[in-house]
Amino acid sequence: MKKRASLRSAVSTGILGLSALCWAFLLTSPGKEMTGGNSYIPICGLDASFQISAETFPLSAMMKGWILMVFAMMLPKLIAPVQYIFERTFMHRRVAAALIFVSGYIVVWAVAGFLINLVVVAVSRLTPQSAIPALMAGIVAVIWQFSPAKQYFLNLGHNHSVLSAFGPATFRDAFQFGLLHGLWCVGSGWVLMLLPMLLPVGHNAAMMVAAFIMISEHMEHPRAPTWHFGFRLKLLRIIVAQSRIHFEKMKAALARPSPQPGR
Amino acid sequence: MAKFLRKNAWERQGTFQNPDLFWYAKGVGVMQSKALNDPDSWWFFAAIHGENLSGSEFPGWKYIPGPPHVPAEPLPSQATQSKFWNQCQHQSWYFAPWHRGYLVALEAQIRSAIIDLGGPEDWALPYWNYFGPGGQYKMPPAFGQRQLPDGTPNPLFVAARFGPNNNGVVYIDTNKVSQACQTNTVYTGSNWATPRPGYGGPVTSFNHDGDTSGNLEANPHNQVHRQVGGNKPNSNIYGLMGDADLAALDPIFYLHHCNIDRMWASWNEAGNRNPKDQNWLKGPAAIGERGFVMPMPNAKPWIYTPEEIDSLAKLNYRYDDTSVPPVINTLALRLRKFGIQSDKLLTETNMDQGGGLELVGANKGPVQIEDGAGIRTTVGLDSVWKKVSTNFLQASESNLPDRIYLQLENVTGNMDATTLAVSVNHQLADHISLFGLRNASRKDGHRGGAGLTFIIDITPIIDNLHLADTLDLGSLEVTILPDTPISEDNKITVGRVSIYREQYKI
Repeated sequence: MKKRASLRSAVSTGILGLSALCWAFLLTSPGKEMTGGNSYIPICGLDASFQISAETFPLSAMMKGWILMVFAMMLPKLIAPVQYIFERTFMHRRVAAALIFVSGYIVVWAVAGFLINLVVVAVSRLTPQSAIPALMAGIVAVIWQFSPAKQYFLNLGHNHSVLSAFGPATFRDAFQFGLLHGLWCVGSGWVLMLLPMLLPVGHNAAMMVAAFIMISEHMEHPRAPTWHFGFRLKLLRIIVAQSRIHFEKMKAALARPSPQPGR
Repeated sequence: MAKFLRKNAWERQGTFQNPDLFWYAKGVGVMQSKALNDPDSWWFFAAIHGENLSGSEFPGWKYIPGPPHVPAEPLPSQATQSKFWNQCQHQSWYFAPWHRGYLVALEAQIRSAIIDLGGPEDWALPYWNYFGPGGQYKMPPAFGQRQLPDGTPNPLFVAARFGPNNNGVVYIDTNKVSQACQTNTVYTGSNWATPRPGYGGPVTSFNHDGDTSGNLEANPHNQVHRQVGGNKPNSNIYGLMGDADLAALDPIFYLHHCNIDRMWASWNEAGNRNPKDQNWLKGPAAIGERGFVMPMPNAKPWIYTPEEIDSLAKLNYRYDDTSVPPVINTLALRLRKFGIQSDKLLTETNMDQGGGLELVGANKGPVQIEDGAGIRTTVGLDSVWKKVSTNFLQASESNLPDRIYLQLENVTGNMDATTLAVSVNHQLADHISLFGLRNASRKDGHRGGAGLTFIIDITPIIDNLHLADTLDLGSLEVTILPDTPISEDNKITVGRVSIYREQYKI
């Protein structure tokens, strides 16, 4: 059980480390590495996008930046399924199966990213220098946030597929699992990804907030898919509860009389 | 000396001559007379464990065959429901402490009613020890009578109890139900005396349903639920005890859980330790989840954590009998089978010693149980199985043989009141109860419909293969046989049947 716990902890540490690296890369190299040197909107905000034209549409740079961003934001959400794959796969195939699962997941977000970026380009050209698109996306995000549809997708994300143990079927199942997991993830989080990209300023900060919300809501338990007017901020609740416990422990330690000198 | 003493329900032959049972019936009657939206009512308390008020057919509460006649309205506010209802902890390390608090709260309600009726002020819930001598495996007769001695309806009587053979005769078949878990020595984890996931259950957050039961929960707890509940033949109706969303409507539920709580107390008295992890001690509220809360008489909510109830002394309670079954040194016995004698090995630890868990074999994919004949599936063994045979051949006091588990993974369906007999190469491995299956299979359940996973220790069977010199094999035959006919509408799916090895170190 200890080794099992340490396997789980190794998986989560590795994934969180990778996510942190992606964040560091994104935050320290705005507008360059993320986009292959092109200052395209999805990564650096709308300012640069107003000059964009169909001829200079930087698809590959844009997608590179998008995928880097997906890795940074979404990897922590993959800890539980990757742990599950590690536990349910032969030891010599664990890493390969996990990588194939992540590939399937990224494929779905890449397709979604392409569509989202097209929308952003179109909107920015139709309504240049306007905050209205972001405002409208914000309204849709709030409605989507409380909707049964969003809860439906979040629920599906908790079900981990059965994996075949032998032969190519293992990798096929891992890829399908990744595709499905990605689909449920896009279904629940598409508008939270779109909204920051439409903001004229503060793109990176907004993406960090979106990532926090998406990780939080992914940690919540499934519930009946009905209209629910409440925020899913489990990560925040964990931070508050654990801080309180540590604070109480510290207070108790400080209140303990210190040993007398010489005793 | 503790104020409240919980005694055996079979005192005075388990009839209403036993004052604990008589006053329990009176108290239940008072609670049943209150409305569903009253936190002091029997119905509200049952919903704290789990409810199915919105169901459009059985097991929806509106469709439960009485008695008791279960109300489906008036509903309390949504906020009250969210605070109190659907709290029970299953397939979780919170299983034992949550249910202990639940019993204490119910007892306070019943006692309050009893005192108002002029009964004893120190009344405490009796327990049903189905492992007791004589006829104690039978349900105490007071629960089967339609009337109290004074001729009024008996609140302890429930129509929907069908028993292990689905014929209305309620008893516990101790060939399938055991107290073997009492020899475990680790709450969460594994060692030689404790198969995974441990006596008290796996580490979870707030877990209303889904995944893997701890050893105390799996057997006897889940088994007793199934055996008391049973199924009504040729219908989709099953006993209240067979489903977590109905179970606490049946008064026998609390006597069963009192016995489970007694077993936990006995396990602690034997020197076994509860978790020291803050996330267990402080409960799920410590990780940003719902806390445990119960309505007490006069509408005072009681919020509690495992830390506050992990010993009965803290609650002013005790049991009249917490005798401990004899400890068996499983490690020494196993090694003796392998021809290894060592005094050094005669002491076992209560530390978690579970090592790496590794998949060594699995069947091809999902199988469905659709009728009474059950299914047979071949579990292919990977080349890593060689590690097991080599490990067995080299077994010594410094190189302990692996433990081998069979897992039924992602089991889904809606027939909770079913037991499956699982055999490996024609040797019975275990009986497993599917209590909790329906909720674990719901898409909006805590695991998103991933179902239940059952862990069966098949080490003795593998040891026999080794001793018969037949361990080098390419596959194992696994047979799964239900004890109840399964209709096509109610088929049970087993996502995967797998074999794992677990290494141990002294």
